[in-house]
Parts: sequence; C-alpha cells; structure tokens
Amino acid sequence: MSKKYTFYPGCSSQGSAAHLDRSLRAVLPKLEVQIEDIDDWNCCGASVGHIEGGFIPQSALSARNLAQAQTQGPQDVMTPCAACYLNTHATNERIRNDEGFKGKLNEALAVAGKSYDGSLHVRHACEVLVTDVGMDKVAAQVVNPLAGLKVAGYVGCQTVRPFANTDRGNHFDEYDRPKFLDDFTRAVGAEALDFENATSCCGGSVSVMSPDKTLHLMKKILDEAQAKEADVISTPCPLCQTNVEMYQQQINQKYGTNFNIPVVFYSQLMAVAYGMDPNKDAALNQQIIPADKLKGMAK
Amino acid sequence: MTATSPTPRKKYDLNFARWVYENVDGGDRMAKCMQCGTCSGSCPIGDQMDYGPRKLFMMIRAGMKEAVLTSNTIWNCVSCYNCVVRCPRQVPVTYILHDLAALAVKEGYAEAKTADNARFAKAFWWSAQKWGRTDERLVTMKYYFSTGIGDGIKKGMANQKIAMAMVKTKRMHLTMPHKVKGTKELQAILAKAHEIEERGNNGQ
Repeated sequence: MSKKYTFYPGCSSQGSAAHLDRSLRAVLPKLEVQIEDIDDWNCCGASVGHIEGGFIPQSALSARNLAQAQTQGPQDVMTPCAACYLNTHATNERIRNDEGFKGKLNEALAVAGKSYDGSLHVRHACEVLVTDVGMDKVAAQVVNPLAGLKVAGYVGCQTVRPFANTDRGNHFDEYDRPKFLDDFTRAVGAEALDFENATSCCGGSVSVMSPDKTLHLMKKILDEAQAKEADVISTPCPLCQTNVEMYQQQINQKYGTNFNIPVVFYSQLMAVAYGMDPNKDAALNQQIIPADKLKGMAK
Repeated sequence: MTATSPTPRKKYDLNFARWVYENVDGGDRMAKCMQCGTCSGSCPIGDQMDYGPRKLFMMIRAGMKEAVLTSNTIWNCVSCYNCVVRCPRQVPVTYILHDLAALAVKEGYAEAKTADNARFAKAFWWSAQKWGRTDERLVTMKYYFSTGIGDGIKKGMANQKIAMAMVKTKRMHLTMPHKVKGTKELQAILAKAHEIEERGNNGQ
C-alpha cells in the first residue's frame, strides 16, 4: 500500500542539487511513496540565516512551511536536504516542547492568518526509506544490479547529527559511524567500501564562502576515496555533493593532486539500478565530474 | 554600538556569563560545561579558530565579552554539530556559537561587519527575505562583491569555471530568481518575528 508524505524539496532542489530532486522523484513511486510538495514552500534559513535574521525570524521560516504543510493534511513532512531537515525538525521539536516559543511563532504567523500546533512529524527522506519502506523493498526493485561498482559512502554531518534521534523515537542511525548509506549501496548491488571519513565535514557553507579555509577537509575525504579506488562517492547531502565535486579542481591546483572522482546521490544509484533512464531519471547528465562507469552500467 | 548584553567592568565579572546563560539559545546548558574539551577536540576547523569552544566558554565565564564577540571562533564554525553530539553535558555548542554570532551583529562589532561568514549571512538573508528562497547564484555574487567591485571581479574570475560547469549541468539558472508566491506574506511574518525577537530573550 502506498504511503503519502508532504514533501519539502528545499532551495537546492532548484539549483545545485537539482539532480537529487530529479532522481528522488523518479524512484519514490517505485517504492510506493507518494509525495505532495508543501505549497509555496520557503527557504529554511540553512546554517547562516540566524546571523543576520536572528533566532526568531530564522525559526519563523520553518514555522511558515510547517503551517502550510498542516493545511495539506496530517501526514509526515519529508525532506531530502540535510539543512532543511535540521532546521525544520529542530523548530518543530521546540514548538512541541516550549509553549512560549510556540506562542511567539504563532504570533508571527498570525499576521498572515496562519497557525501551527506542532502536531506534524518531520523526517529525512533516507529515514523514511530506511524505516517506513525498508531496505528489503529498496533492494526488491533492483533490475540492474550495480555489480563491481565501488562506492565510498559519504554521509556528511547534518543528516545524522543532533536529530539522529528521529521524530519516531528511534535512531535511524548512529551519528558517528552511520551504516544506512552503505545499506543503500549494497541494496543496489554495488560494493560498499569501508569509508572512515563517512561523517567528516566538507566545510559546509564555510566552503562556499571561503574555500581556502576548508579545502584540506575535502582533500581528506577525497584522499581516502582515491586510496580505496572508489568509482564514485555517494552522499545524501546536497551541500556535501556540491562542495566535494566542484572543488576538486581547486584542490588539485593547491595540493598537486589529481582527483577526478564523481560524487553522486544515493538516489541516482537507485535510479540506475532500477533500470531507469540515466539522464531523464538518474540525472547523471547533471554531474560536473561525469560518472562514466555508473552511466555505462545504465540500461 | 548598541549593547544588548551587559559589558563586564572588572575581571571575573559574571554579568555577561549570566546574560548568556539566560538569553542565548542553549545557554542554560552552557552553565553545565565542565571544560573537558571534547568540543574543541572534535572540531574539524578548530585549528583555524582564535579559541576553541571550550576556551571560549571559559572566557565567557571570565567576563571577556569583547574578546569573545570579536574572536573568529563564532564566524568559523562549519555547523557540523560534532561537538553537540559528543558533549557529555549535552551543551548545544553549535547553537551557542550561532547565537553569539547574531549577538555580535546586533551589538555592531567591527568584526561582525567584515568577517566572511557575516557578509555571507547578510547576502543569504537578503535572498531569503526578498524572494523567500535562496538563489545560490545571487547570494554568491552579492557575497563576492561585498568587499568591493575589484575584489568581487577577482573572486568571480577565480570561480568562473565552477559557475560555467554549474550552468552547463543545469544546476544554476540564468533567468529570474526562484521565489515564493507569497513574498508579501512571508515578509510580514518575518517583520513580526523580528519585532518579537527585539522584545527580548530570544523567545526562550
């Protein structure tokens, strides 16, 4: 039986992580996951909104999305973006646990005739796939196993951090050595490398503004992937994907390395393994560093 | 400068620390910090901070408000939350650093105008508020040019290859910004939220 969720794609879905959006929307129907976008969703404020905007305005961004989602039904809110998840989930928890905070956000929402009571659950897309759909079902859809593809599972930080304690009361995974991403890799028939830098930070938004401060962080991740002969790095995080992919050339210039490792989303691996179109569905034409081996495996 | 928080007049004046405990998001937990240093040891970018979080918290207790709010620690945090998940006293270190950065902006410290993260945050909030969404391309441009036209062109040139690759792979668009339909409504909510925040103690 299919299950319905209200979907929060986040700003990167229309920009740097358009290939996450496309590939995820392609594979979800195969898993009987129905999604409906939050009507007129807005930015979550990411990791920097509070600095200029302040704590309450930053939280009000998530509150508007939640208020909007509530008008669309009681089903869980699902988002594939680490920062969107962090902010929306954290704000939701606070609204539930702090009457004063809830009152203040509702006072702000009221100027637009909106309100939110804290009753929704906010969940990460991976957690939905792990908990609600189940890895057996993720594997059962595979018609084109990615045999021989070596995958370095790079989880990043925010996907499994303070909110690894999920809304449903379970840890969908551990925050230091998470295994769920490797489970996706194995489910699609590929080889999951033992990747020690799975949760090493890529520098996040600091990499976007001042890469000089963080190129060495990304180099560490790439060093291990190269040493272990990874064909691709797989990640669930929009910013991790963009940072680790787009800075390889600058890292090569600075450190004299020769990195040219494709960085893809878990959902792109799934789309290829599900026998879907490598461009239209898996969005592999949106890689800056082409994932040739993976593309060659597509049916 | 508008002082929101009290400025200590003598060494080991606890006024600023008390204010942080009561007004900063997660500050109540900070009072429980036992100076173990797990946070600083877990920080991926700690070597590029004036002081690690452990030391910064001790400085807050010592009343060194100015040194705290002018340190680059609050601007260099990468928001990885390593420290938060590892703290044995459940101090939400990242949230505290975030709020201290916002405080430095509010109180008008010079570093809060020049720090890269502060300038980036300004560009980011501009997009969030004006369009309701982050236009990655305009935020980046606005940030590049926040230190002057010459510097902006230089930074733009240095990242030209990346930008062209992003356009080519349809991960950066060239037309009007993506925006919400209800921009007026969103701006009204944010204006009210700002007013509520100004009323005091961070909504806690």
